[in-house]
Amino acid sequence: MQIIQTDLLCIGAGLAGERVAIEAAGNGFSVICLSLVPARRSHSSAAQGGMQAALGNCVMGEGDSPDVHFQDTVKGSDWGCDQEVARLFVDGGPIAMRQMAFWGVPWNRVVPGEHTYYKGGKPFTAIEKQEKEGLITARNFGGTAKWRTCYTSDGTGHAVLYTLDNKAAQMGVEVHDKTEAVALIHDGETCMGAIVRCLKTGELRAYLARATLVATGGFGRIYRESTNAVINDGGGLIVALDTGVAMLGNMEAVQFHPTGIVPTDILVTEGCRGDGGTLLDVNEYRFMPDYEPEKAELASRDVVSRRMTEHMRKGLGVKSAYGDHLWLDIRHLGEKHIRHNLREVDEICQSFLGRDPLYQLIPVRPTQHYSMGGLRTNKDGAAYGLKGLFSAGEAACWDMHGFNRLGGNSLAETIVAGMIVGGKVVEFLAGTDTVFKTKCVREAFDAQQGRIDRLLAGQNGAESAYAIRDAMFDSIMVGAGIFRNGRDLDECVKTLQVLHERAGRVGLRSDGLGANPEQALALKIQGMVKLALCVAYGALMRTESRGAHTREDFPERNDRDWLSRTLATWKDGADLPTLHYEPATQTFEIPPGDRGYGGGKIIPMQTEQGR
Amino acid sequence: MARTLRFNIFRYNPRNPASVAHMREYSLGETESMTLFIALNRIREEQDPSLQFDFCCRAGICGACAMVVNGKPGLACHTKTKDMPGEISLMPLPFFKLVGDLSVDTGSWFRGMYQKVESWVHTSKTFDPAAEEERMDNELAEKIYELDRCIECGCCVAACGTALMREDFLGAVALNRVARFLIDPRDERTEKEYFDVVGSDDGVFGCMGLLACEDVCPKDIPLQDQLGMLRRKMALAAVRGMLPKFLRKD
Amino acid sequence: MSLSTIATHRPVSPGLTAAYLDWLQMLTGAALILFMWCHMILVSSVIVGPGVMNAIAGFFEFTYMAQLGGPAIFAVFLVHFVLASRKIPFRTAEQKVMWANAKRLEHKDTWLWMVQAATAMVILVMGAIHMWVVLTDLPISAAKSAARIQTGWWLLFYLCLLPMVELHVGIGLYRIAVKWGFVGRKDRSGFKVKENSITYIFIGIGVLTLIRFMFLAVK
Ligand SMILES: Cc1cc2nc3c(=O)[nH]c(=O)nc-3n(C[C@H](O)[C@H](O)[C@H](O)COP(=O)(O)OP(=O)(O)OC[C@H]3O[C@@H](n4cnc5c(N)ncnc54)[C@H](O)[C@@H]3O)c2cc1C
Ligand code: HEM
Ligand code: HEM
Ligand code: SF4
Ligand code: F3S
Ligand code: FES
Repeated sequence: MQIIQTDLLCIGAGLAGERVAIEAAGNGFSVICLSLVPARRSHSSAAQGGMQAALGNCVMGEGDSPDVHFQDTVKGSDWGCDQEVARLFVDGGPIAMRQMAFWGVPWNRVVPGEHTYYKGGKPFTAIEKQEKEGLITARNFGGTAKWRTCYTSDGTGHAVLYTLDNKAAQMGVEVHDKTEAVALIHDGETCMGAIVRCLKTGELRAYLARATLVATGGFGRIYRESTNAVINDGGGLIVALDTGVAMLGNMEAVQFHPTGIVPTDILVTEGCRGDGGTLLDVNEYRFMPDYEPEKAELASRDVVSRRMTEHMRKGLGVKSAYGDHLWLDIRHLGEKHIRHNLREVDEICQSFLGRDPLYQLIPVRPTQHYSMGGLRTNKDGAAYGLKGLFSAGEAACWDMHGFNRLGGNSLAETIVAGMIVGGKVVEFLAGTDTVFKTKCVREAFDAQQGRIDRLLAGQNGAESAYAIRDAMFDSIMVGAGIFRNGRDLDECVKTLQVLHERAGRVGLRSDGLGANPEQALALKIQGMVKLALCVAYGALMRTESRGAHTREDFPERNDRDWLSRTLATWKDGADLPTLHYEPATQTFEIPPGDRGYGGGKIIPMQTEQGR
Repeated sequence: MARTLRFNIFRYNPRNPASVAHMREYSLGETESMTLFIALNRIREEQDPSLQFDFCCRAGICGACAMVVNGKPGLACHTKTKDMPGEISLMPLPFFKLVGDLSVDTGSWFRGMYQKVESWVHTSKTFDPAAEEERMDNELAEKIYELDRCIECGCCVAACGTALMREDFLGAVALNRVARFLIDPRDERTEKEYFDVVGSDDGVFGCMGLLACEDVCPKDIPLQDQLGMLRRKMALAAVRGMLPKFLRKD
Repeated sequence: MSLSTIATHRPVSPGLTAAYLDWLQMLTGAALILFMWCHMILVSSVIVGPGVMNAIAGFFEFTYMAQLGGPAIFAVFLVHFVLASRKIPFRTAEQKVMWANAKRLEHKDTWLWMVQAATAMVILVMGAIHMWVVLTDLPISAAKSAARIQTGWWLLFYLCLLPMVELHVGIGLYRIAVKWGFVGRKDRSGFKVKENSITYIFIGIGVLTLIRFMFLAVK
């Protein structure tokens, strides 16, 4: 057994993982980051829009402050977030942005003078101030009172990730890419590192670490249609759940985006609809006004996604080799607008669909986009249940997003949380020593090696991992998709339980040697089904609608009974997670109220009960 | 539509002693808007689950899926079968170490590259969390971003005859990286320090101007212009020392 | 890190050699291009009339430029060869890689380089012979040249050398322009077209010159 030892082991080398790594390395600790892909290919690089921080430099951001940002964030979360964490986040935002500028991010800057901007598709002019020249500027994003999303052209995530990885290289952070954590090493109390499969050779290694960080990003790939990278399959959450003691928070809170393109589910911006694009069905009929007479296509993300699904369920979707979809029509916006203002969309359509949006319709459907849930931590980023285990980024349920995250808040979360959690990890490393129990290491290693050996020997059975995955896709989209109801969820949970059992009997069709991709999926598929069960079962039990979690049978937001966070653990041998609940937040800076958008009824919190 | 595509795919698993490098043929019915991402996944799931290849973002922004498609290095996720002949040959990127089939190890090479060119901002300042950010001209920020757009797919190196012949050659991607820091005022490196990084036959003077890098780069990074700029700058830096003392700038 | 740098305990600095050599390679290349253009004027002036050629040759003779310039050019030629050959793949492994790459890529500029390297080897041999023959038989005159060419073998010799030289020069000029950034990405394809036509025109003039020599009456 090859053993590698380090102070901090970051599972994940996206923005969150690397930001924490840099903090620790900067304080003299040795750090290794694991990643399925070279660090810079992590999915953070795909975020184009930007990150929110209340700098208030641009004219449309004037008067912005962390307080305003705080309000937007809490409202956005539908009061599901931890307000103490949201406060930490908004206060840290401006510092983190400036630090990134210092490290080399080429943020777009304020250019003084008159500019033409767009809001809701309509142009208007505004004058940027001379004294703000050269400071970090910002653009508009949904659900915010001010323009506060800092950006670098159309590649914010890319530019920030490249800068961070440069910094990490400078600090001597080691990145072991093409590796996959397959289990945590722990004794039920303390986490001591991870068992890792090398994706170049297929060999297993043990990494011993005094602190371990899960920063593996979202788990969108338990859905068939997701805007996430294909590597975002929740590996970090699976290993945490497998410990039996770490907890996953709010797994049912999953965000969908109305317009992922078909077939490859690449996101096309909301701007299309903002600027006047319409949605059409199989008969090229514009159906949204029938459902939402007032706002039509411009209703909020979740509402549009729901209506689209409803319409397709009526059989009015367009059939294709890749399943049903609808059409997005922007042809009427004209050449100038499409080629310039919507250039990105134009490029995506041309290079991935071979379609010219000026003359052709764009195939779209609602697509999984973001996972608010994840490994539950306290405000220091320390995981519940295991000492020495931390989490940050999309993988974590630090919980500033509650039941709905705002665009631009997640990318900012990665580096702000990275900065804060990094600081706490450093404190932890400075103050704690860990005993590495060789027995735990050996047992964890042997357990994983045993799994692989049994798989290679074909001892488990002959189920196809791909077939199980496909069945999981079918089931979760019907049950825990955009629209949820008791009956479908119940059905979905039952199906997933069967799949969970079948996943224990997976066999390989190929030889499984080396970095075999079938083996990788076979090792992971049962864990993926577990995550799907956490989502579906959590959604079934939460009998209210909040943020992205929408129950047709419980349409109101129920602050009386459900101003809480779901916590899921998985007992060894179980086929369902065990659910617990905790209050959504310990402190209230703003009491629950109306979001001001999205509509819906609210069952108010009872004051004697609400703290 | 409804062509049947024939794929000739390079197969070799260095971890299997019985494996020999060979081309294997697969056929697949073409579907609407098919990309190589869809095709390869279908081949893997329906015909040959051991087939190794890399995709990540499948949206042309992460650089994971670079491979040699009908002779040319490019991004597979970005390649529509509609634009291809009925017969498609797929090979792994040369230059990088083979992991298996179409998958190569770009990560190790790039990490080495960061260390060689010290791919980070060199500054003597320390960050002051209380201070306003240093101002920068928006146009300059955009210029830097233009060079920062590289996705490290490795196509430029894999297409460069010089790099293939001479392992130690830095390649266009590294030289572009240096150019990126050279124009960034936050990086305080002197011309001499940059010269020490790229002023050799492994650096900019090793480039023979083949321009395959420029022509294959899927992100259209202005490599030709950066290489030219660097060569001029570095060559001038070298002869500046020959000028009489009172004429030298630094 | 090479042994020498370890032995001297000096920080790894590549030194200026590579830069100087690159300058020299470019400058010798450029000098040879200039020379070839002058050479063209001299030799093809025979089209206008043998007298013109003789006059030009006489001028060079009289100013001693032929006697001194000739060997000087020969030296530049050799220096350029030494410098440029650092880039030529001589080891079989390198050659194989280069060929495989060019064939796989079907990339024009890569092929152009292959042409440049191949023509270089021909020029090295034939150019040296040619210079030896001409320079050991000074002074230059249209009649002497015509006599040589009309032997037949020399005609073949030049018909072979001429396109080699023009290709090498044309590609060399293009290469200098793009390598040093004198021609940027925007102007590249336009420049290439111009460069190609110049090459063809020069080959054309060269052939005309040879024809003229063939039919020049040797007394
Ligand atoms: C298309 C798209 C656009 C977006 N745009 C925006 C935007 O404009 N603004 C915004 O704020 N947010 C945006 N987001 C969300 C945001 O990009 C993500 O939430 C954020 O980047 C997550 O960063 P991370 O560091 O947590 O994870 P990631 O960047 O996903 O990194 C995860 C890391 O974990 C590694 N990993 C995973 N599993 C394992 C394992 N088992 N073993 C070892 N390593 C593992 C991976 O290799 C990777 O290095 C967008 C998301 C998508 C999908
Ligand atoms: C009349 C004779 C010659 C002329 C006019 C000439 C001209 C040129 C020019 C202008 C270049 C471009 C220089 C550069 O890119 O820096 C060049 C490159 C080159 N020359 Fe020559 N050359 C001649 C003879 C030779 C000979 C005899 C060789 C023999 C080996 C040779 C080999 C090369 C090679 C290999 C290159 C490519 C260098 C590179 O790509 O960096 N040349 N030549
Ligand atoms: C100082 C050196 C040189 C002198 C004095 C010289 C002189 C001449 C003369 C007199 C001719 C007429 C033919 C003959 O007499 O045989 C000629 C032709 C030619 N020379 Fe040279 N030459 C020189 C160098 C070169 C070099 C370096 C090259 C290229 C490598 C070259 C390539 C040619 C070619 C291709 C022709 C045929 C001309 C045509 O068809 O236009 N010469 N040269
Ligand atoms: S420069 Fe272009 S080809 Fe080279 S690695 Fe970057 S994106 Fe790829
Ligand atoms: S292909 Fe190679 S030789 Fe130079 S111009 Fe590009 S790096
Ligand atoms: S998969 Fe990311 S670029 Fe192709």
